[in-house]
Amino acid sequence: MLFFYLLATLTVLGALGATLMKNLIHCALCLILFFLGIATFYILLGAEFIAAVQILIYVGAVATLVLFAIMLTQNVVGETTLKGLGQNRWWALGLTAAVIGILGSAIHHQRFSAASYAGRLTTQEIGQALVVVYALPFEVVSLLLTGAMIGAIVIAMEDRKKKQ
Amino acid sequence: MNTIPLTHFLMLAAVLFAIGLYGVLVRKNVVIVLMGIEIMMNSANLNFIAFSKFYSASRVTGQIFTLFGITIAAAEVAVGLALVIAIFRQAKTVEVQEIDTLKG
Repeated sequence: MLFFYLLATLTVLGALGATLMKNLIHCALCLILFFLGIATFYILLGAEFIAAVQILIYVGAVATLVLFAIMLTQNVVGETTLKGLGQNRWWALGLTAAVIGILGSAIHHQRFSAASYAGRLTTQEIGQALVVVYALPFEVVSLLLTGAMIGAIVIAMEDRKKKQ
Repeated sequence: MNTIPLTHFLMLAAVLFAIGLYGVLVRKNVVIVLMGIEIMMNSANLNFIAFSKFYSASRVTGQIFTLFGITIAAAEVAVGLALVIAIFRQAKTVEVQEIDTLKG
């Protein structure tokens, strides 16, 4: 239980750092801490395969992409990165508090008839579900990912004709 | 390990979602806004995994949904960052307030 609270504090700190820090590189590093925290919660919940996927995709790929995007655009250290944050800070804070309040009261009042399931889900079972029951969604999401990657390359590519 | 109740995970996910929402609403840099969206998606995935642990009927489904969620988040962040780079090349800025060419 203590371990849970420690991990939760670390993950929340990571998320807070990612949203509130001045230096954009520090934001990205805090985001990595947050991703790792989520992965440890997956392990706590007995989803080791998903935890491995989380570390591979988010820490390995997404964080690298974010770091590259920060370095390719301006204002890495910038004093200006937090400027203008104040103008809609208060209603944003109110909306955020409202979201926490609504979700919290909903979770608090709902009676979950849940008992922790003891058995572990093996990677084999996930794989079988992926190619038998969820075969069509799997193909659709593969197509989506391929299309998105090609689209990203096309969008980010420099227009060579214009340069010449 | 099994003594942690489901509501703890749900509350943690709610708090993380709210932090991501705050980042999306307040920050000016587009990259940080995308990071906020990633935080929100991750907290939703945490809910899926928590429910898959505590309800035996949704055991496989929760984990498969999380896998799909991670895939879609990866596609989204790739396209989003490509757009950020393209916009930066055109407008020389990544501030949300200054990208207003479509404003009438």
